[in-house]
Parts: sequence; structure tokens; C-alpha cells
Amino acid sequence: MLSLENVEVIYNDVILVLKGVSMQVPDGKIVSLLGANGAGKTTTLKAISGVLYTELGEVTDGRIEFEGRTIGRMDPEDIVRLGIVQVMEGRKLFEHLTVDENVKVGAYSRSDAAEIRRDIERIYQYFPALLELKGRISGYLSGGERQMVVMGRALMARPKLMLLDEPSIGLSPMLVKEIFQIIKEINLQEKTSIFLVEQNAMIALSLSEYGYVMENGRVVIDGPSDKLKENEDIKEFYLGLSELGKRKSYREVKHYKRRKRWLG
Amino acid sequence: MSTFLQFLILGLMEGGVYALVGVSIVLVYKATKTVSIAHGQLLAFGAFFFYLFFGYFGLPIIIALLLCFLAIGVMGFVIERLALRPMIGQPLFAAFLVTFAVFVVFDGVFLLILKGGILGVPKFLPRESLLVGGLRIPEGQAISFVLSMAVFGIIGLMFRYSKVGLGMRATAEDHQLAQSTGISVKKMFSVIWVVSSVVAAIAGISTAHVIDIYYSYPLLGIKGLIVALVGGLESLPGALLGGLILGILENISAGYLDPIVGGGVKEVAAYFMLLVILLVKPYGLFGLVRIERI
Ligand SMILES: Nc1ncnc2c1ncn2[C@@H]1O[C@H](COP(=O)(O)OP(=O)(O)OP(=O)(O)O)[C@@H](O)[C@H]1O
Ligand SMILES: [Mg+2]
Repeated sequence: MLSLENVEVIYNDVILVLKGVSMQVPDGKIVSLLGANGAGKTTTLKAISGVLYTELGEVTDGRIEFEGRTIGRMDPEDIVRLGIVQVMEGRKLFEHLTVDENVKVGAYSRSDAAEIRRDIERIYQYFPALLELKGRISGYLSGGERQMVVMGRALMARPKLMLLDEPSIGLSPMLVKEIFQIIKEINLQEKTSIFLVEQNAMIALSLSEYGYVMENGRVVIDGPSDKLKENEDIKEFYLGLSELGKRKSYREVKHYKRRKRWLG
Repeated sequence: MSTFLQFLILGLMEGGVYALVGVSIVLVYKATKTVSIAHGQLLAFGAFFFYLFFGYFGLPIIIALLLCFLAIGVMGFVIERLALRPMIGQPLFAAFLVTFAVFVVFDGVFLLILKGGILGVPKFLPRESLLVGGLRIPEGQAISFVLSMAVFGIIGLMFRYSKVGLGMRATAEDHQLAQSTGISVKKMFSVIWVVSSVVAAIAGISTAHVIDIYYSYPLLGIKGLIVALVGGLESLPGALLGGLILGILENISAGYLDPIVGGGVKEVAAYFMLLVILLVKPYGLFGLVRIERI
């Protein structure tokens, strides 16, 4: 079980982004995290996985606990070892590595070579389309293929909890369905809990059991997914947010800025 | 023709050393995105530690080498930990300046050690030359050239096939993503500094076989930097090629022009090469092709 209690996150010592967020992801469950652009969803996931420090972000207040242990100040590699893996937004791959190397690197925290080999085969069973792309340099893959690689890579760590950031964005409806089916399968077969950040609220809510909606760094609504699905505010809010084109360019600008900051 | 070949051979051998220095700088740049000037000192101190253990204490060569690698590894580790780790997340130029500060500090220490003199390392490789078809091939330098290439090969294999190598390549591409997959980027930085320090030390020791240790040893780091830049900063094969080209260019240009202009050509050749190559290919010979696909 993952729990956040009044978590506050500040970037660059001044930008307050999470203003006291409390959430829970019970073992084996799928939980959705919804909200507009800039609400703080990705920041929440980064606070959990510990990678905030790479962008000068910091958990300044509150507690993040996993299986009874406080993980708020741990190094990301130790958090991975505890069983939490984040699939970053934007389907980020190691572009110059092959598909196979991308998958393998997911097992970096493990040292059970024989088991790792078996798991690699299992990944290709989950994503048969990747099998013939194995030796391909991953930078040239399509969006759907990338999504499969990043999920396969995350699975290689044998996570107890997977933090999935916008897995469906920009994919064709067919692919979206397939990806969500696989997410469900992972949840059932591997008993992996899933914390799912999505713009596609309706699909996310039909997959999950519980959901949180964030706005401006706070949780504004939460409840069982089927209740949320009937909620008028949520319906309206997500229907209002269909200007995909506009959103994309905003995201790109943000990514560019963030990358620049980190690379200095 | 045979004079030309002679210069070529000598240049190639010298180029092997340059390539190693270049490779050590490229390793650090790839992983940490910091351009290091400090490696000139790691080279100089590598040679000095070897002098200390082998020449001064008279230890058997293998033990002297191991102790030297250990000492230089610790030095690289400490430099990273104390000077560069705090720079993570800070502007890259600041990190570059830090390596410059490290260079200057150690240069002071180095000059104190030398006390204005030179340190001669007892010759540990054969000093004879082979004569092959009228060409002189200095045995010692040939051996150290082969060893340099072996070091290069080992690094290449490690990158390609080992787990740490995979982690390093991942780190080189994207620090945050590497962290999120469970790679300790900080640990990788330490490892890369230790490995690259040892590589620089090997270059220093090879040099000590040919020239006694004197005050301008650390400046070889500048040549290494040129080699790294010419190769594209991120490319190991680029650094290898850059090093070999520099060695050959220096020897050939000096060999033919020095008698005419009265010496000094060798010192200029490196900068000339840098200028020309960067004018033609601003990202170096092997500048990484960015994969642009969103
Ligand atoms: N590294 C950073 N430094 C400073 N501010 C940041 C940084 N990363 C994010 N922010 C800011 O924090 C807020 C929340 O960003 P976050 O990426 O968590 O939102 P999000 O809910 O994931 O949005 P989206 O749906 O667009 O992905 C935004 O206002 C953003 O500008
Ligand atoms: Mg986001």
C-alpha cells in the first residue's frame, strides 16, 4: 500500500507545486489520477519515485509511505528496489539503445540473471509486436511501439506498484484499447498495483477502482471510480478539454524548458 | 617516401597516447556532460604515482601499476565527490569552471612536487628499435601503443556488453530516465571518474617511458581535450581517431616544416587541426546524430 499524506513539493526552492496532497493506492488495485494540465499529476508521481531531485524539486512537507516505510527521502534507485517503478510521461526511451537493451536496462536493480532472462521472454509475450523490433535502435519507433517498450522496461523491475503517466496520449483508439487491456492484464497476472495518470478520464475510470482529481496542486475530488464517472463536474471538465492540438504544443514547450534546466 | 612512413609510424604511436587522454575526457563527458580540464592533472599525477611506486620505492612493476591505478582512482573519486557532485543540476559552464579550478590547484601541487626539476622513471619497456624495411620502430612505444589499443578495446567491450556498461550508456542518454529505471546516476558518475582517471594515468605512464616527468605534463590534458572535441566529445571511436590523427599530423608537419621554420611546429599543429576540423564539422568528426522524433 502506498500512501501520501499532506505532501508538499517545491521546485527551485520557490515554486510551490503540490500543496498538501493525500492519496492512497492499496495493494493490487488500479487507482486513477486525473486533472488538467499543470495540476501536479506528474509531480506527484515524481515525488513518489524520487526523481524530483533531478529537476531541483523537493518534498518539503508531509509523508510518503510504501508498505509502512517512509520513502520520501530515499534515493530513486532504492525506491525501485522496494518495488515502485515510474513510467515517465512522454514515453521516454534511451533513444540510442536497441529495443532489447531498453527492456534489459529495466532490470538494472536486479541481479538474478536466470530470472531476468525468463522475464525478458515474458515481456515479449505481453508485447509480441516488439519481438521483431528487438535489435532496432529505439529512437525510431512509433508511439505505440514506444509505449510497449516503456511498459516492458518497467515490468522488468518486477514492480509491486507501477506509476503510469499518460500511457494513452496520442495513440489511435485501437491502440489505446490494447494498451489498457495490457495494463489490466499486468494488474491481474502480476498482481501489480497501478497508479494511473490519464487525460482519457472515462477509460481510466472504467479500468480503476478509485480515482483522484487534482487541480492546482490539490486533490479536489476523490471517490470510487464508478461514482466519479457519474459526476457532472468531471464529465463537463473533461469534455471541455478536447482541444488536443493546443495542449500538445504547450506540453512540448514545457518539456523543452525542463530538459534545458536539467542539462543546464 | 620512407621518411614520410617513418613520421607516420612515430606519429601513430604518439597518437595512441593522445587518444587515451581524449577517451578519458569523452568518458566523463558522455556520462556527466561535463567537459573536464582536470584530466591533464590526472595524467600527470598518474605518471608521478608510477614514478613513486616503481622508480622511488622500487616495487615490482605489476604492483607499482596496481598501486598507481588505486591512487589515481582515489584521486578521481575524490575530485568527483568533493568538487563535481555539488555541481549536479547547476549550469554546465559552472561545472567546467570547477574542473579548471581543480586543474589549477593540482598544478600547484604538481609544481611543488617537481621543485623545478624533472623526475626520470626508470625505463620499464625495451628501448631498442626494430628496423623493418628501413623503418625504425621503437619497441617500447610500439608496446605501449598496442596496450593503449587494448585499453580502448576493453572499454569498448565493457560499454557494449557489461551491465555497468549498459547502465553507463543509459546514464549518458538521460539522467532522469536512468534514475527512474533504478540506475544510481551518482554512483555512475563515481565509477566513470575512477575509470577515466585510470585511463588518463595509463596515458601518463606511457608518456613517462618516452619523456621524463616535467612541468608541462598536465598540458597534455589540453591536447586530450582537443582530441575529444575533434572526435565530437561523445564518441569513443571519434576520440581514438582524433588522437591518432593528431599524433600523425604533429609528427609529419614537424618532420617536414621544422627544418624550414626552425622548430615549434609540433606545438601549433594540435590547435591548427582543431580549428580546421571544427570549421568544417562544428560538432566534430563523430558528433552525435540527434534522433529527433516526438
Ligand atoms: N522542474 C520544474 N520546475 C519548476 N516548475 C515545474 C517543474 N516541473 C513542473 N513544474 C510546474 O509544476 C506544475 C505541475 O506540473 P506537472 O508536470 O506536475 O503537471 P501535470 O498535472 O502532470 O500536467 P500535464 O497534464 O500537462 O502533464 C506546473 O505548473 C509546472 O509548470
Ligand atoms: Mg504530466
